[in-house]
Amino acid sequence: MTKAKLPFGAFTGIAVLAASAVLAPAVVSAEEVTINLWSRADRSGPLRAGNIVAAADQLNRMLETTGSETRVVIDLFENNADGFDADALDLFKAFAVDRGPDIYVLAHEWIGAFVEEGLAYQLDDHIEANPELYDDVIDTLWESVAYKGSRYGIPQDSEIRMFFYDKNMLRQIGKDEAFIEGLPALVESGEFTIYDMTDLAKEVVDGGAAEYGIVHRPNVGPDFQMLMKSFGIDQYNADEGKLQISETQLAAFFDWLKYSVDAGVIPANMTAWSWDEVHASFRTDKTSFIKFHGIWNVPAQLETRGLTKDTYFDEIGWTHSPAAEAGGAPANLSHPIIYAVSAESEHPELAALIIGLASQNYLNTAHAVTTGHTPINHGQAAMPRFVEEGWALRAGAPMLEYASFMPNHAMIGQYNAIVFTGIQAVETGRLEPKDAAAFVVEELQAELGDELVVLD
Amino acid sequence: MTSQSSATSRSSAAARRQLANMALFMGPATVLLFMFFIAPVVVDVFVAFTDMGRSLRVTEFTTANFERLLTNDSRIGPTMAVTFTYVLLTLGIFNVTFGLLLALTTTALPERSGAFFRAIWLLPRMSPSVVYALLWAWVIGPTDRGLINQVAVGWLGLEPVDLLSNQPMLLIVLANGFIGASMGMIIFTSAIRAIPEHLFHAARVDGAGPLAVIWHITLPALRWPLSFITVYQTLSLLVSFEYIWLITNGGPFYDTMVFALYVYKRAFENGQYAYGAALSLILVAIGIAASLLMWRLLDMKRLLQTPKIEVQ
Repeated sequence: MTKAKLPFGAFTGIAVLAASAVLAPAVVSAEEVTINLWSRADRSGPLRAGNIVAAADQLNRMLETTGSETRVVIDLFENNADGFDADALDLFKAFAVDRGPDIYVLAHEWIGAFVEEGLAYQLDDHIEANPELYDDVIDTLWESVAYKGSRYGIPQDSEIRMFFYDKNMLRQIGKDEAFIEGLPALVESGEFTIYDMTDLAKEVVDGGAAEYGIVHRPNVGPDFQMLMKSFGIDQYNADEGKLQISETQLAAFFDWLKYSVDAGVIPANMTAWSWDEVHASFRTDKTSFIKFHGIWNVPAQLETRGLTKDTYFDEIGWTHSPAAEAGGAPANLSHPIIYAVSAESEHPELAALIIGLASQNYLNTAHAVTTGHTPINHGQAAMPRFVEEGWALRAGAPMLEYASFMPNHAMIGQYNAIVFTGIQAVETGRLEPKDAAAFVVEELQAELGDELVVLD
Repeated sequence: MTSQSSATSRSSAAARRQLANMALFMGPATVLLFMFFIAPVVVDVFVAFTDMGRSLRVTEFTTANFERLLTNDSRIGPTMAVTFTYVLLTLGIFNVTFGLLLALTTTALPERSGAFFRAIWLLPRMSPSVVYALLWAWVIGPTDRGLINQVAVGWLGLEPVDLLSNQPMLLIVLANGFIGASMGMIIFTSAIRAIPEHLFHAARVDGAGPLAVIWHITLPALRWPLSFITVYQTLSLLVSFEYIWLITNGGPFYDTMVFALYVYKRAFENGQYAYGAALSLILVAIGIAASLLMWRLLDMKRLLQTPKIEVQ
C-alpha cells in the first residue's frame, strides 16, 4: 500500500529543525562537522555512498537557507574489498585501530556481529522520532536490520534472487507458449518441483538448445540459501537466537544437487568456473538455460542480449526456486544492503539524520533504477522515473512475497562457507550427498560451537 | 703511571671503536632480523594465547585455541598431507630437478642462446603474482573460454580439459614450479660458471663424453648449491600459498588446501586471528624441524664453516 507523502516544505522544515538540534552541541565554534563514511567500492552500487554525499549536500543547502554557518562534510573511504564479507572484516580492523567511520554500508547479515562488538548505534529512537523520514519504508525490510528486538540500521536497498530462464530454448525444444509463460505460476502453486525443473533443464540440454541446464555462482554467497529454503531448511532458530541445521534436510538438498549433476544439468565443475564464464553463459554465449542470481542482472542482460523493456520478457522468464516436493512452497531470497551508524561516533544523531535524508524517494530511486535494485519505500513505485526505468523492478516486486532474508547472526558467513564446501564436494563427486551432509554438520559444530542448534 | 693510563685509554678507545664498528656493521641486520623474523613469532605466540577475534580485541588469555587445535580440528591432518605432497612434488620435479636441467642445458648452449632461454624462464618470476595467477585462471578455464580448451576443443576437437577440477594438485605444482625452477636455474648456472674451465678440458682429453662430464665434473661441484636450494625452497614452499589461493582457492573441496592457506583462511577470511596464530605456530615448528633435519642430513655445517684460506 502506498502511503501519503509529506509536503516537501514541511519535510525540509523538520529536517532543518532536526539538524539544528543534533548539531547544536557540536557547532559552538566549529564551522565544519566531518562525518566519516565507509563503503565498499562496488560497481553494483556506487550511489550507496553517493547518496550519503548528496544527502549531506541537501542538508548543507538547508542550513545555508537558515543562515547557519555550519556545514557537514562527508569524508568517504571506499574499501576495495572482494565482497561484503571481506569488507566487513576490514571494517572491524578499522574500528580496532580507532579509524572507524561514523556511517558504514553493510550487508545486512553482518549487523548482529557489529552489535555484539558494540559498534552499531541503536536506531529505534531515531526512527520513531522521525516518522516523516521512515514511515514509508516497506515493512518487511525492517527485519533485515533488526537484531535481538532492536533496529540497528536503515535498509539501503533490496533485491530478489531468482531463477532466470531462457524462453527461446524452451521454444526450440517444442514447448508451447502457454507452458513457457505459465511456468512461474506452476512453480508458485507448488505443482512444479525443483526436480521437475532439473528434468526440464535436461530436456533442454538433450534437445540441443543449451549446453548447460542450470548454472549458479561459483563461490560462497547467499544464492544457495533459497535452494536450501526450497528443501525446508531454515537457517535461523529465532527462539534461541542461534543458527540451526538439519542433516536430513541438508542431505535432501545435496541429493538434488547430485541428481542435477548426474543428469548433466548442473556442470560438475561449476565451482571451478569464473564469474565471467557464469555470466557469459547466460548473457552473451547463451549456452545455459537457467541461471540463478539477483534481479540486478537485468541491466546487463538487456545490454548484452540487445533487449529492451518491450522485448525482455519475450526472451527471459523469472521464477522462484521451486519447492522440493509437490505442494510445497517455493522460495527466493532478498539480500538488502543497509546503512548503519557507529556507536563510537561523536555525532550519531547527525549521521542517522543524513542516512534518513539519503533514504528518501528521489535519491534511493536513482540508486534503484541505475543498479537494478528494488526500492525501500512504497512511494518510489509511483515515481515517474521509477515507472519509466524501473519496469523490471516493478515486475519483480510481487516475488517478494516469497522472499526470505539471511539471518542477522554474527556467524552466518562461516555457516555459508561451510555449506558451500559441501556443495562443492557433492558437485565434484568428492563426497556422496549423505556423507557431505554429515561433513557439513560436523564442520558447523566444530566452527560454531554453542551458536548452532542441530535439529536431527 | 702515565704510560699505564695512556695504555688504558688507548685500549678503551679501541674497545669503543670495536663496539661502534659492530653496531655499524651488525646493527641494521640485527634490527631487521628482530623486526621481521623474531618479533612476528613473538607476536604470534602472544596472539595464540588470546581470544582475539574479528574485532581484534583481546578480552582474555586462554589456551582454548590449542585445545581446539588438538581435539576439534579435523582439517589439520588432511591439509598437512596436501602440504607435504605439494612441497615434495614441486621441489622434486621443478625447483631442484628442472632448475638443474635448465642450468645444465643453458650453460651448454652458446652464451647468447643460453641467456635468452634463461630470460624466458625468468619471466614468470618477474610478473606480478596476481597477473601471473590471472593468466593461469584464463588458461585453465574449464569452459570453452579457457585457452587450453580453445585449442583442445575448438581446434583439435578433443574433450574439454578441466585441470582445476580433475588435476588440481598437478595444477598448483605446475603454477608454482614454473616460477620456482628459475631460482635454482640461476644459482646452479652461476655455480657451473665458477667451475674452472681446465677441468672440462682435462676431462674431454681423457675421453669423457657429455654425460660423464656432467656426472664427474659438474654435479660434484654443485653439491652445496643443490643443498642450499633444497633447504631454502623447502622452507619457502611450506609457507607460500599466494598462487594456490588465487588459482584454486584451496579447492575443489580441500584438494589443494595447503596448511599455510588453511591458516590464512582461518585468520583472515573468518576473522579468527587467535586461532590462526595458534595454527601458524605448527608451521613455525615444522619449519624449524625441517631446517634442523636438513642441516644435519645435508651436512650444511660444512658449507658454512670458516674458509681455510683467508684473504688478509
